[in-house]
Amino acid sequence: MNPPTITVEFYGIPRARAGRKDLVVSAATAGAALLAVASECPELANALEPDGTLTPHYRLSMDGEFFVTDLAHVLHSGDRLLLLSADAGG
Amino acid sequence: MGGYHGHYLRIDVSTGAAEWVKLPESVLRRFLGGVGLGTWLLHREGPHGADPLAPEAALVFCFSPLVGTPLTTSAKFAVVAKSPLTFRLNDALSSSHFALAGKRAGADALVIVGACAAPSIVVIEDGIVRLEPAGDLWGQLSDEATHRLGERFGRDHHAAVIGPAGERCVRFATISSGNRHAGRGGLGAVMGSKRLKAVVVAGTQRVPVADPARVVAAARDLSQRSFGPATAKYRELGTVANLLTFNRLHALPTRNFQQGQFAEADALSGESLNEARRVARNSCAACTIGCEHIYASTDGNVRLEYESLFALGPLCGIGDRDIVLRAARLCDQLGLDTISTGATIAFAMECAERGLLDADGLRFGNGDMLLALLPQIANRQAGLGDLLAEGTRRAAERIGGDAADFAPHVKGLELPGYEPRALQTMALGFAVGPRGADHNRSGAYEADFSNQADRLHGSAESAALAVDTEDRAALMDSLILCKFLRGVFADLFAEAAALLQGVTGWELTADELRTTAQRIVNAKKLYNLREGWSAAEDTLPRRFLSEGLPLGAAKEATLPRERLQSMIAAYYAVRGWDADGRVPATLVEQLHLNDLSPTAMS
Repeated sequence: MNPPTITVEFYGIPRARAGRKDLVVSAATAGAALLAVASECPELANALEPDGTLTPHYRLSMDGEFFVTDLAHVLHSGDRLLLLSADAGG
Repeated sequence: MGGYHGHYLRIDVSTGAAEWVKLPESVLRRFLGGVGLGTWLLHREGPHGADPLAPEAALVFCFSPLVGTPLTTSAKFAVVAKSPLTFRLNDALSSSHFALAGKRAGADALVIVGACAAPSIVVIEDGIVRLEPAGDLWGQLSDEATHRLGERFGRDHHAAVIGPAGERCVRFATISSGNRHAGRGGLGAVMGSKRLKAVVVAGTQRVPVADPARVVAAARDLSQRSFGPATAKYRELGTVANLLTFNRLHALPTRNFQQGQFAEADALSGESLNEARRVARNSCAACTIGCEHIYASTDGNVRLEYESLFALGPLCGIGDRDIVLRAARLCDQLGLDTISTGATIAFAMECAERGLLDADGLRFGNGDMLLALLPQIANRQAGLGDLLAEGTRRAAERIGGDAADFAPHVKGLELPGYEPRALQTMALGFAVGPRGADHNRSGAYEADFSNQADRLHGSAESAALAVDTEDRAALMDSLILCKFLRGVFADLFAEAAALLQGVTGWELTADELRTTAQRIVNAKKLYNLREGWSAAEDTLPRRFLSEGLPLGAAKEATLPRERLQSMIAAYYAVRGWDADGRVPATLVEQLHLNDLSPTAMS
């Protein structure tokens, strides 16, 4: 079965690195989505640490509902992942 | 002991008399500098129950042990006084050359009391104090006055000045130094009430550090880390990048907190501003981050931060970026806090739309009205200008009806750009903040932007997270280091202990600095207790507790009063306070705060 089609939206530094607002990818998990993003936008390859976890400088949110740290989080068709800068201050 | 002169300068501007007052090492070690030492000084020098705008009120400029060292972002100072907006303790930070020159003038702090008979400036050169007339400067915009003072005194002197808003005691007037501002809580009004247009400092008295080699090595390391990803957002995009993120999360206060998303957010976003209007990027003195992003408006260039952008834009329903840039520039010149200014005008716009206020053209989205109101407020022009110069709490009392329900303040200080129903740990931080609704003394939003808290359903578990961010802020604001550095520290308390040990020579541990941070937060609370604080003040305006925030698709975020109360009760418990939010005598003893306001102890 093909992995679901989801949309990754970029905000802050991730948007500046990606050079785009969003990207549609096919991915079964949040981690797979980030790998797909890195493949399409090499400037975002550092979103993942060498150990496969999300860099502390970014946050990943499931459609603004909750923040995802477990990159094995399972995705469903139509999901929207938000990749954000971690720093919200100012 | 390195890093300190070991005394402060008490200046009575009624007479021009100046007095050196020794600062015992035990006090410096307990309160460090900046906000911490400023709080101790306000306890000592600010008379109990005094009106913040009365001559006897104290205005404290406080430096820190790190000022003058090569440590990045350390060129900062705190201004501390009783706020004319809240009647509670207020502290605000500012940056750059005034801090460096001020410390070289020979004191760890300047405490100004009294009031001049006529507009004046106070000049402090290597510890020698004199007053000079400032009739020629009175009425000038902040940047004009700064320029004139530069011509008068030369490059070695640096000034903290007020604009017309401060002169007329607008309750949210700022103090400007360079293009930075001690912005919140009306400290410019306190200075204006003393008829003091400027404080000018210069000197040659450098303070040695205990271990120069260690400090230089630490400075190199910190500077190197400050170029990394932890500060990339501030360096590359500026805080204006918050706008689109907050908008996506329904956390962008819009139309006086009636919505959390703004239809024109894309046009006003940091990204579009950076593409269309950014002309330069600057740094404070002794800073390697370079977070100041400068934009072009049709009136001239202006530094813009997210807080000014949200308050003068979406909060007032304004999506025209040139209007927002011009308004921010004018606020800086007039000496108006952009957050309180935008919030007060947005509140007035809603009052007008609801028929509570009769003012032609005062409607959300009317940018011309926004621009017209700024000088009216700063000059306290009779009518609307004078009314709004009082801030939302007092304006709501005068307007009457149900205006107080949607006046966006806590303890009188207007809310910054974080929608509390969408960021409920931040809601707690706002409610319990000693200086009112505050995003700089509480970084509780950091928990909301993580998986540590459910941002739409705050809980008692949020309390410990809020306390942790307050304690970190208290330490950084007392050292003083810029909070934009916070992401570079793996263990802030341990690294700060090492830095401070190199400067002062004290044998310090992370645990001691954790206790120091708690002491400073409690010292602020003790001051507020002395000045009449009660638990009823730790709350949010009724709007946030009774109206849902639209989230789209027929969903809404709510923050019932009972939930907030439960979070506040948990916060008091984590702090070790009693159920009424008072500081028990045992905790006062434990934190070595016995010399502060014993009458405030429960």
